[in-house]
Amino acid sequence: MPSHSPRHIRNFSIIAHIDHGKSTLADRLLEITGTVSARDMTEQVLDTMDLERERGITIKAQAVRMPYHAEDGQDYELNLIDTPGHVDFAYEVSRALAACEGALLVVDASQGIEAQTLANVYKALELGLEIVPIINKIDLPQSEPEQVAQEIEAVIGIAAADCLLVSARTGEGVDRVLEAIVTRLPAPKGDPEATLRALIFDCKYDSYRGVVVYVRLLDGSLRSGTQIRMMAAQKTFAVDEVGVFRPGMEAVAELRAGEVGYLIASIRNVRDSKVGDTITEVGRAEPLPVPGYRQASPMVWAGLFPIDSNDYQDLKEALERLQLNDAALAFEPESSLALGFGFRCGFLGLLHMEIVQERLEREFDLELITTAPSVAYRVQLRDGHTAEIDNPDQLPEPGLVDFIEEPRVKLEVVLPKQFLGGIMELCQERRGEFVHLEYQPGDRALLTYDLPLGEIIHDFYDQLKSRSRGYASMDYQLAGYRREQLVKLDILVAGAKVDALSAIVHREQAANQGRKLVQRLRQVIPRQLFEVALQAAIGGKVIARETVPALRKDVLAKCYGGDITRKRKLLEKQREGKQRMKRVGSVEIPQEAFMAVLSLDR
Amino acid sequence: MTAEGGPGPARSLYLHIPFCTQRCHYCDFAIQVGGPDLQGRYLQALLEELRWLGEARVAAPLESVFLGGGTPSLLRPELLERLLQAVVAGFRLAPQAEVTIEANPEGVTSERVRLWRGLGINRVSLGVQSLDDSTLSWLGRSHDAGQAERALAALRQGGMAALSCDLIYAVPGQDAATFERGLRRVLEFQPEHVSCYELTVEPGTPLARGVASGRSQSPQVEAFLEQRRLAVAVLGEAGLRRYEVSNYARPGCESRHNLVYWQGGAYLAAGSGAHGFLGPIEAAGLGFEGKGVALRYWHFRNAASYARSVADGSLGVRGHEWLTPEDLALERLACGLRLTTGVELQTPAQWRTAAHLQGLGLLEVAGGRVRATSNGVDVLDRLTLELAAV
Repeated sequence: MPSHSPRHIRNFSIIAHIDHGKSTLADRLLEITGTVSARDMTEQVLDTMDLERERGITIKAQAVRMPYHAEDGQDYELNLIDTPGHVDFAYEVSRALAACEGALLVVDASQGIEAQTLANVYKALELGLEIVPIINKIDLPQSEPEQVAQEIEAVIGIAAADCLLVSARTGEGVDRVLEAIVTRLPAPKGDPEATLRALIFDCKYDSYRGVVVYVRLLDGSLRSGTQIRMMAAQKTFAVDEVGVFRPGMEAVAELRAGEVGYLIASIRNVRDSKVGDTITEVGRAEPLPVPGYRQASPMVWAGLFPIDSNDYQDLKEALERLQLNDAALAFEPESSLALGFGFRCGFLGLLHMEIVQERLEREFDLELITTAPSVAYRVQLRDGHTAEIDNPDQLPEPGLVDFIEEPRVKLEVVLPKQFLGGIMELCQERRGEFVHLEYQPGDRALLTYDLPLGEIIHDFYDQLKSRSRGYASMDYQLAGYRREQLVKLDILVAGAKVDALSAIVHREQAANQGRKLVQRLRQVIPRQLFEVALQAAIGGKVIARETVPALRKDVLAKCYGGDITRKRKLLEKQREGKQRMKRVGSVEIPQEAFMAVLSLDR
Repeated sequence: MTAEGGPGPARSLYLHIPFCTQRCHYCDFAIQVGGPDLQGRYLQALLEELRWLGEARVAAPLESVFLGGGTPSLLRPELLERLLQAVVAGFRLAPQAEVTIEANPEGVTSERVRLWRGLGINRVSLGVQSLDDSTLSWLGRSHDAGQAERALAALRQGGMAALSCDLIYAVPGQDAATFERGLRRVLEFQPEHVSCYELTVEPGTPLARGVASGRSQSPQVEAFLEQRRLAVAVLGEAGLRRYEVSNYARPGCESRHNLVYWQGGAYLAAGSGAHGFLGPIEAAGLGFEGKGVALRYWHFRNAASYARSVADGSLGVRGHEWLTPEDLALERLACGLRLTTGVELQTPAQWRTAAHLQGLGLLEVAGGRVRATSNGVDVLDRLTLELAAV
């Protein structure tokens, strides 16, 4: 197929809340345009990772080119760029949007617009994208498409009459979506003869071919042999292959301004292909970089330790492998007196952390202990130096510290008014400060709070959902640091400090948190052959104590006649349970204990 | 015997007689309730297996035979006679061989005792369980305390050489005083051997269902500890020394057959649900394929399936496993620690762990061997794991 002129290209993305039907709509579009034959059709075609399908979420961005013969008799090339859907991946979403001229906003006809969706719509509007609202699931009896259309008009300012009514599940109205993409979204601009200027919106590592870079060409053209330069990464490469997604990778002779595709250039490290970076060509005057580039930086940090210390090298290699495909994953060696050698790892959020942990265990067969995630504090030392502390145990002695600053976020919650009380209470409990409340059309309110990042990384989202019966949704962004009265809470197990159990807490909550933490640990640390004292201490002063009593009975009365096999199997099973715990000194501590600090009732 | 070497030739034989008049609430053994008509067919299969075993095996006479169940005392006299004759004919018995039969009180009469002695049975293991009627009925036993006492008297008056009594303790609702009264009453009959088992809730039993539904109370740790201490003290006073987790005997009257299990010796087994353990040479001689330092094999648990399998020529054997040296080492450790004679340790790391456990008062070291202290026995499975992990 010859390269299309920009006039016949449409680049678009789909913005939708989880469960509002993004994947189903994408599947329908692929089917109708014949991009994927019915035979090859699986649920969620674009989500290729097992984890994505299992959790029903998109982790990596995907792109696919669909041929479309429109009612005007012309052939178009539609590029769908699918974006990650979780709050942890907000930056990746913004880069995928920047590669498009338009977006389909998919809203559930019975749910209305959710906060996170809205946040992405604002992002898209900011980037100058044209929005086509689609009201989905109109086949459901509880759907209220007119009301949702009114809401869209009121909130986003797109006339209610311009909303398309669709059921992606039954296919109703999907043909009109394709027409709207052609008629309502603008064609890409850009000059194929100008200097190359391409946006990296994602990349993936392929063990045979190196890094596959997903690009949107804004100006110029790309072909095999082009000498390219990554402007932020400051690296140059020679292009080996360019191609498009149909939806599998297919090489083409050339990519031109306006097009979406991939390039391969013997790039061995995803860090050389940063999402948001601009690609240009060597030997021509550098163009302006695409605005909005930002170094992907981890928000939370946790220690990952192999249960069997012999697995350290394997863990290192596994992390390196994952990092090949995950530029946001950071890690550096860490050693803990309690847990031995491991890695301090940085993640975008807890979902990102869980995904990495799960992949390490599943794909690399590693058994790990993960310590409680922490945010990075800024510590001003008395000697004038500043230190960034992402591991509670590394907090310097109180005598050396002038003050400690804590990262904060601006949190936006969209929720039905009736749940305002409960959600505001939740924010107050988490040391939040009220910023703003705005009533929106229908029954909704937009609530803005300023609160510590450390207070929202764990179960805040779950709490938000449970206190709003699932109706509230949230988005947040870093909003600076603030000086706080913070102290390090140490935990002593059988008289010895366990560094991996230390936590940084607010001074006012310290005594209470310390008491609760040792109570919780008492529940999760199994009985040992001896009594185990658990103490919480601040600056060497013990503030709470609990005891795990010694095991009193663990013996099988009968050896079942000659059936020793049964006895051995029982022992082997117990031994497996034991091996999942980490021995610290002479005490065996299960994984749960290291996360105990996260599950304290407030 | 080294850590890696398997056992020598089997000198012990276990025979399983699955019949019972009813299933006790706590029991998960391979038993068959009712059906006296099945006895003849079952015995035919058992004799067939024995005949084949006797022919395949060329070894020294047996040192011990154990008829377990089920309730072997329910076996009709003529069938029991044929069975023991077959054992003598097929395997030969050593002059001082220990021949044990398990019996329930309701099946023990002077006449039976006379018959058993005549057949060469010199040891009876009597399922007394308790001498408290309400406890017996809670356990779902088919006898009462009076029957148990009459059976004990009949065995002693009938001149049975060795008498062992099974007792169950830590039964919910039975307090320590009731348990102690029963223990002392049993001791009046001067048994050579007593097995004291705590009540264990086995999955799939009526008791387990009762506990799960809240109808039955589950056994309590406090009662276990108190009554276990009582048993050690009261039986010790009467000259019965604890030599295994749940077994007590006058010196020299320990169960020779059971010691073979615990000390890692080989034993043959026949009958439904029975488990055997053999060295590699003997296992190969019996036609087991594969490799390992030792072999464990087991029979169909269901009596009818067992009989069918024997008829098919596969001897009722349901499965087997070859042990690796590591499997065997774990078993030796687990079984050896159950005995007051203890075990020898193999590695320096094990000795370091042992020193730590000794410091906690759970292990004793003597003569190059380690053994659990009285407190250590209560947490023996954990001790075993500690020593096995290194």
